[in-house]
Amino acid sequence: MTNGEETQRRSQLIERLRLAVDGLEHSVGGFGTAILALALLVWLVIVAAACLIGIGLLLVPSALQAVRALANRERARLSRWGTVMIDPGEVPRGIRAALQDQTVRKDLGWVVLHVLSGISTGILSLSLPLYAVQDATFPLWWRLLPPGSEGPSIAYWPVNNWADALAIGLMGAGWLALSVVLLPGLARLQAWPGRQLLPLADDADLSLRIAHLTATRAAALDAHATELRRIERSLHDGTQNRLVAVTVLLGAARRAVTRNPDTAAEVLERAQDAAEQALAELRTVVRSIHPPVLADRGLEGALTGLARDCAVPCQVDIDLPGRCAASVEATAYFVVAEALTNVARHSGARNATVTVRRNGDRLLLRVTDDGKGGADEERGSGLTGIRRRVAAFDGRLTLTSPQGGPTTMEVELPCGL
Amino acid sequence: MRIVIAEDEPLLREGLALLLKAEGLEVAATVDSPGPFLEAIDRHKPDVAIVDVRMPPTHTDEGIVAAVEARRRQPGLAVLVLSAYVEQAFAAELFAGSAKSVGYLLKERVGRVETFLAALHRVAEGGTAIDPEVISQLLTQTRPDSGLEQLSGRERDVLELMAEGLGNTAIADRLVVTGNAVHKHIRNIFAKLGLPPDDMADRRVTAVLRYLEQTQRRP
Repeated sequence: MTNGEETQRRSQLIERLRLAVDGLEHSVGGFGTAILALALLVWLVIVAAACLIGIGLLLVPSALQAVRALANRERARLSRWGTVMIDPGEVPRGIRAALQDQTVRKDLGWVVLHVLSGISTGILSLSLPLYAVQDATFPLWWRLLPPGSEGPSIAYWPVNNWADALAIGLMGAGWLALSVVLLPGLARLQAWPGRQLLPLADDADLSLRIAHLTATRAAALDAHATELRRIERSLHDGTQNRLVAVTVLLGAARRAVTRNPDTAAEVLERAQDAAEQALAELRTVVRSIHPPVLADRGLEGALTGLARDCAVPCQVDIDLPGRCAASVEATAYFVVAEALTNVARHSGARNATVTVRRNGDRLLLRVTDDGKGGADEERGSGLTGIRRRVAAFDGRLTLTSPQGGPTTMEVELPCGL
Repeated sequence: MRIVIAEDEPLLREGLALLLKAEGLEVAATVDSPGPFLEAIDRHKPDVAIVDVRMPPTHTDEGIVAAVEARRRQPGLAVLVLSAYVEQAFAAELFAGSAKSVGYLLKERVGRVETFLAALHRVAEGGTAIDPEVISQLLTQTRPDSGLEQLSGRERDVLELMAEGLGNTAIADRLVVTGNAVHKHIRNIFAKLGLPPDDMADRRVTAVLRYLEQTQRRP
């Protein structure tokens, strides 16, 4: 086998593993909404029963709103990972109108189907990798069990010797293979009722889509204005002030030349320092607007460059189909640059990893390091700046940094229209 | 002359202090935010306060508010406000009470030490100093009914210099004309702006302030 083929096979294998892990993640999320759906279904049955004696009618509107809320939660969840689904508006007023509404009926149908498919596929998706781990590690701990105990997972026979234990260990490998093959499909199967029932009818979809686009566009413009304000602020408070200081110091130096030439050199040196600071800040501001490297080499190339220049050895794992809006890429670049600066300065880490993924219309960034942790936003690190910039884009930042490490920063950004 | 400086940018604060000390002026205190500034005013009773417009916490108009408050606490305190850019609303707020002993200058003017010191002394002696940039913005942005558009080019030049706080002789020197000519221009300006012909000294300032007020009242 040639080297090239081997590399290709390896990358295919990694890709399959990644799909399986993604599938597991989605199934767990779906399992969560399915549990909520089960509770809601029980409540719906109680309300329906109460309707027979009249008082239930009072509870119908709130129950239908709960259905809508849960359906919207699922829409948002599925949107993050496939075709974007728009939330429908309010549930129609009046019980009769509401029950005749197509969307309400479909939502109700989805609740029932999701309880069935969501819970069963969820349990199956969780069991497969669990069995794989249990069985594969069995040869390591079977001797701790009382002799003659049953094996783990579906091995309901007594295990008496090493051969039995090793056989079960081999079964672990089987479970693992099965997980890799089945998990992506199980996740799709679990999402199927939602994908069928939750999208809106075409005509309803269009007007809501326009409303949605208007809102996101306004948000995008808003983010743009925030960005401009940020730039204006850093120019005013940084660069301009430094340049003013330069002129003041130059003025002082000019006076000193005629009166007290000895001090002139010192004042001039201060002026030069201030001018250099102004230049450095100007560079920072320009880089923060749109780093030139982004235009030349795209986000992937730019981030790889950042990782290469980082003082701490840094792995990069980027999988990005297509490009995002320029301002989003600039923000992503800024976030990673700041995060890596923090890693190099404060963490004492020996290794860092930058992971970038695209999930539907969201860009996901993760920067982890194996340093000493305890990163604190209050203590004036670059974290406040990162948070402010991410917030301007309606993004989300999660930071976990326990004392003793490791530190993980996760940022989620909408990719723009 | 005892001076208190309120400026949050350390380089500029130290630069200013250095400059003023080199000129033999007494810098009683340098502070970086409005609270300590008012304390310093109460403690040192300075002759002049030099105040940056943008200061913590919000970096908007803290300096103006603090300057107005300082003048309320110590009537007659001369205040020279420094600003990174021209904001007419701020200027109007600052000059609203009285224009005596008040100045509003762009920060970079400090580098022209001679002009800056002249403005500082003028304000300390009860005069006014308004940045040429403020004046020229006013002149380009006035309403059609303000009377300002009736001024000739030369009269505008004279008004700008008046607003900077220059006296007739200084204006004549700058424009390279005779004192008589300047006097005539000034009479014309007052007439066109509809200012009554009494109390010469105050009218000079009024001519400028009127437009500050007008721009503030504009929607």
